[in-house]
Amino acid sequence: MFGNRSHYWWMVLPAFILFFGFHTYPALQGLFYSFTNFRGYGNWEFVGFKNYINVFKDSRALSAYFFTLQFAIVATILTNIASLAIAVGLNSNIKLKTFLRAVYFIPNVLSILIVGFIFKFILSNLVPGIFPDGSVLSRNILGNPDLAWIGIVIVAVWQAMAFNTLLYLAGLQTISDDLYEAANIDGASRWQQFRMITFPLIAPFFTINMVLALKNFLMAFDHIMALTGGGPGRATESISIVIYRGGFEGGQFAYQSANAVIYFIVILVLSIVQLRALKLREN
Amino acid sequence: MTSVILKKVEKSFGAVTVIPPLDLEIPEGSFTVFVGPSGCGKSTLLRLIAGLEEVSTGTLEIGGRDVTTSEPSDRGIAMVFQSYALYPHMTVADNIAFPLKVLKRPQTEINAAVAKAADMLQLDALLTRKPKDLSGGQRQRVAIGRAIVRDAGVLLFDEPLSNLDASLRGQMRVELSDLHRNMGATMIYVTHDQVEAMTMADQIVVLRAGVIEQVGSPMTLYEKPMTPFVAGFIGSPNMNLMEGQIAKEHGCDVLGIRPEHLYRCAPDDALLSGTVRHAENLGAETVAYVKTQQAGEILIRIDGKERLSIGDSISLTADRSNWHLFADGKRMS
Repeated sequence: MFGNRSHYWWMVLPAFILFFGFHTYPALQGLFYSFTNFRGYGNWEFVGFKNYINVFKDSRALSAYFFTLQFAIVATILTNIASLAIAVGLNSNIKLKTFLRAVYFIPNVLSILIVGFIFKFILSNLVPGIFPDGSVLSRNILGNPDLAWIGIVIVAVWQAMAFNTLLYLAGLQTISDDLYEAANIDGASRWQQFRMITFPLIAPFFTINMVLALKNFLMAFDHIMALTGGGPGRATESISIVIYRGGFEGGQFAYQSANAVIYFIVILVLSIVQLRALKLREN
Repeated sequence: MTSVILKKVEKSFGAVTVIPPLDLEIPEGSFTVFVGPSGCGKSTLLRLIAGLEEVSTGTLEIGGRDVTTSEPSDRGIAMVFQSYALYPHMTVADNIAFPLKVLKRPQTEINAAVAKAADMLQLDALLTRKPKDLSGGQRQRVAIGRAIVRDAGVLLFDEPLSNLDASLRGQMRVELSDLHRNMGATMIYVTHDQVEAMTMADQIVVLRAGVIEQVGSPMTLYEKPMTPFVAGFIGSPNMNLMEGQIAKEHGCDVLGIRPEHLYRCAPDDALLSGTVRHAENLGAETVAYVKTQQAGEILIRIDGKERLSIGDSISLTADRSNWHLFADGKRMS
């Protein structure tokens, strides 16, 4: 019997080896080194939970956690509102619908770094030229420690909307036109139809979009590297950037591995809580 | 109670006219059935009345009010869809209450209306269930409940029984007729099933390619079809429509005789004679396919006690009063 199924194993095995070799093994190695004082080179010894305790005392790490959470929550909400609105528009009976769907998906296939550099140019050169002197936007917001995160949110939302819109469109297309016709006859306004029919019926798509968006934004790295590099100062430093800089450039491999483990747990817990809460709402 | 009047109503999709200008009056309190083959425009006509499609030209009046350009919700109508169109995430009670909720009626009024509809449609025990937990017949009742709770003057039904099995269809036919008697509302019902039309309607509108072939009571259409199309469409089994020599001998283009009006006779008295090709004994009656010399294959319906075997020679005739003569596509006087 096993012999008859051996070809299935051959189909699975390459992916398993690649996944284990390039994902699971490094992750386990990182977990291992998080209990040491390894700097990325040289000798090391076990230090127990010292690295983990130090993360909670590290103001730079805590500030990065605060920034990342703030950025992720705002970007998740804005992305979902915007992409749902776009999806509803693209699902309606408008001209050039198919063309516009393709246009709205383009940001998803562009490199995040390239998009980031383009927006950096726009926000630092083009936008200030448009607005009059003295207004907030007359100066490069990416150079303002209080406003730089907004620039990052704009770019991140712009790019993330493409995929979320696609998922919402898929959800909207599962709703039969009959339901809207029935609601129309029953006297439901457009807003009532959205609130009482559309939104409840795309609840599973809302759940997956919210969870994926929050997870992706919590892991934000490329946008920030391209736009601000974590600056001005450390105003837009996300956890990923702190881990990258400390771990690969600052000789804190073990310490940032502990930070990465903590961050993994934070993302996992947030995703599970979010998933459970949204599933409850679906029911 | 509300009448529906269509005056020169036309519907085109681009350059294609699916319903040429037509006039129709649906009396208040009537149970009017639009019947016809697939693609004849009956559902489009219903959707024009509902306001789900825009009238290209002409006017539409409901209850004496011109509603040609009114929103569906402003026409005083309710509709039961072929797919039921129940909101899958809502319970039966919420589905029925939906039209009143969007109108922001008081909760006590909503509860009373839902209870009344549930009682009328025997849905009391199902109010907390969701549509996916219901059978086809129960879903149909919920859809009807949602339609009647609005107290609309006109109820529209778009092939509501087509997704049900034969036995349930029969049961629902009776229930819909009861509902009509109890409510007294004007009902407009679309079907391609002439049995539904004959059993429920007090007025049938036969449509063909968007054109009204005939309007009348079921018995009028059965006894006095005005065109060969109506003659062939109304009645089951279909009327035998004979062309050629036999029709010419009787001074018409088409001679129609219903299968149930043909009976066996002596060979000398025969209008038609031939051999039995196939016989279906249904107990109470036998439907047989007879290959005749005069008119090709015809159908007869005789008492189930009469035995027919394949290959039997048979002579048939019909009373002259049961003949239907058509010339130039119209009934001859």
